[in-house]
Amino acid sequence: MSNHSKNSQTRRGFLKGAGVTAGSAAMLSGLNQSAQAQSSDPVVIGCPAPLTGIVAADGIEFQRGLEMARDEINEMGGILGRPIEVVTVDTESKGDDVVIQAAQRLIDKDNASAIITGYNLETGTALHDVVADAGVIAMHSNTVAVHDELVKSDPDRFWGTIQYDPPETMYGEGFLKFIKDLEDNGEFKRPNNKIAIVTGPGTYSINIANAMNDGAAAFGYEVSLFETVKVPVTDWGPTLAKLRADPPAIIAITHFYTQDQAQFMNQFMTDPTDSLVYLQYGASLAAFRDIAGDNSVGSIYATVIGALQDEIGTGFADAYKGRFGDNASPNGGGQTYQALHAYALAAALAGGAGAPYEEDQNRVVADRLKSLIYRGPMGTMRIRPDTLSAYSYPTETNDPSLGMPHIFSQVHDKAKDGVLIAPSPYERSNFQLPPWMKS
Amino acid sequence: MTQLDDLTRHLLIGVLVIATFAVLPVFITQRYLLGEVIVFFIWAMVAMNWNLLMGHAGVFSLAQMLFFAVGAYGMAMGVTFTSMSVWVAIPVAAVSSAILALIIGVACLRLTGAYVALLTYAIAEMIHVLIITDTECFTLVRNNCQQLFGGSTGFSRFDDFGFRPVLKKHWVLGNYYTVLAAFGLTIFGVIVIIHGRLGLAFRAIRDNVGYASSRGIDRKKYQVVAFALSALLTGLAGGVYAAHYRFAGPSLFEFSTLMFILAMVVVGGLGSTWGPLIGTGIMMIVVEFSKEMGDARNLVLGLALIIFVVVMPKGLVHLASNAWRKVSHDRQETKADS
Repeated sequence: MSNHSKNSQTRRGFLKGAGVTAGSAAMLSGLNQSAQAQSSDPVVIGCPAPLTGIVAADGIEFQRGLEMARDEINEMGGILGRPIEVVTVDTESKGDDVVIQAAQRLIDKDNASAIITGYNLETGTALHDVVADAGVIAMHSNTVAVHDELVKSDPDRFWGTIQYDPPETMYGEGFLKFIKDLEDNGEFKRPNNKIAIVTGPGTYSINIANAMNDGAAAFGYEVSLFETVKVPVTDWGPTLAKLRADPPAIIAITHFYTQDQAQFMNQFMTDPTDSLVYLQYGASLAAFRDIAGDNSVGSIYATVIGALQDEIGTGFADAYKGRFGDNASPNGGGQTYQALHAYALAAALAGGAGAPYEEDQNRVVADRLKSLIYRGPMGTMRIRPDTLSAYSYPTETNDPSLGMPHIFSQVHDKAKDGVLIAPSPYERSNFQLPPWMKS
Repeated sequence: MTQLDDLTRHLLIGVLVIATFAVLPVFITQRYLLGEVIVFFIWAMVAMNWNLLMGHAGVFSLAQMLFFAVGAYGMAMGVTFTSMSVWVAIPVAAVSSAILALIIGVACLRLTGAYVALLTYAIAEMIHVLIITDTECFTLVRNNCQQLFGGSTGFSRFDDFGFRPVLKKHWVLGNYYTVLAAFGLTIFGVIVIIHGRLGLAFRAIRDNVGYASSRGIDRKKYQVVAFALSALLTGLAGGVYAAHYRFAGPSLFEFSTLMFILAMVVVGGLGSTWGPLIGTGIMMIVVEFSKEMGDARNLVLGLALIIFVVVMPKGLVHLASNAWRKVSHDRQETKADS
């Protein structure tokens, strides 16, 4: 048997077995088979990620997601015959200075053709100048509107920095629409018209809280409490005292640290109010259920980039947990996993990845990436031409095949990931009234 | 041949060090490595000033990164809110840092020893917490809320030194020589202080405060002066750091950063002239190599520090000067024998 047919069989076997991003993988595999191998030099993907510090749990998942995608892509022949190599540098959950150093190191020392990461605890614009100066592509999920504003201010300079999820401003409006849908469907009846919003000090949390605050009146809600907590917060007593003194229909916590949210639920459940509890992003990680245990059941969380529970998403989640263990979080790893698959396909379509400072070739790859409608475990990644952020479904498009779903989940069982309850057609279960709420 | 005095000798070494770094970009062109040398300049500036305060004046202060942060934040706020030129904002920020140090110094230096360390750290931490809990929008920058003191994300993307449009892809060289100038200023400033009358007074207080006082040296006055001078040059380092990275954020206050700088001073040699500079170089090399080691990085860093502290408690400079003395002594003995 020739090497070629051996490879074809391996690739077919892989595609059949994985069932993840199958259409796109088949395209990449096809491109690889029809192409002449460019060289055996690896295409280096640099990942500046928070592997230590306060958000290390996510950073580790970002690294795992890249490793998994790397192995799958390499099994399909890499990018036109060139294997992918992933190099990670720890950004220590610190700010722009550390992220800039890390990215510069990956480009100059490790020859990274592209920077792919999840989010870092920076201002959201640290990578932009580094990659613009080096003429390479950066893909991140910082989930910040400031990225959009910066790209719009100078699109010719920031052609290569892509935020592969929607900005955080989608959360505020999306959440209020979600509540309205629950009410319209008769699944939730508000006990009063009050909403309490609790934010952390970060721009991300504040922007979401402000969007909720600004939009509440249009949905018939009065903001009864708007409070900022110092983080990390383990003692929720003062905030809970205010909530218990004037119980709202909805409590929205936009501060996103997983362990802080778990502590909120533990302390809230000692004397719960008749309120729906919404927790921003952090509750999507397994650590939330580990810490909060039974108290996690009934809480709602959302993310604009999370693993879907459909055929593709579940296939990915099973493979991911099979490789990294049950405590691994596909919601985190899926981000970089999907981004690397999309990059590899775009690079193959562009005729190969460009090296650092090869701006012309990297611009071609970026153009392919921007014109791609890529379906992965996190839903559809389609990039807005003006902001280079992903479209959000249903806030920015009513076609689920053209936007990344803003998914709402609810914890139904402390031993399992939350169940996706919105938006359609991705929901897998109905909303359940939390056990502490009066029907 | 005339023997050079201490001050002149150290100033000449300083000229040599700066001249060496001035020609370095001829051999190193990679932006990342030049960036690392820039970081070395900045941390060496902080370490030298901390050594001036702690190693020479005997003030065990933990507010060094506060003064650095005031320089960085002052520069960022000046440029962001008042459209001040970077070249004006940096000295203004450095002077602000010195003024804050004067205030803190007057309050803290009524105490001595560990109490000064505790109080200065408490003040730094208090300011850190005030900054990260500030959520009130002071203004909008690119449609995003910008707090007066930057909140938990800090300031970013303000004006830098302005070399990008002038030097195009070689902009980092402009930053390199600007930070090198600040580094040179710090080296000469610190040498003049350490090896001048002021340094003599500082060490007299450090070594025997009772005796120094009996000779008319006012402990509090001189230590406040040391506090302010050290903060002025540390604030300058903070200002150039902010201008280089276009960033000033609360991570500057982190305890790990403070300990990292302290390690540089200890490894090099507390109370010496060149120890902090050498210590900064050593620690940065250890960090650079440990980056390849993934999760083991912190372990390697910790181990390196333990080894230095146990084997060379007085630092590398002390070890080198002992070795030099021994070689000179052996030579003299050999000469005498022959």
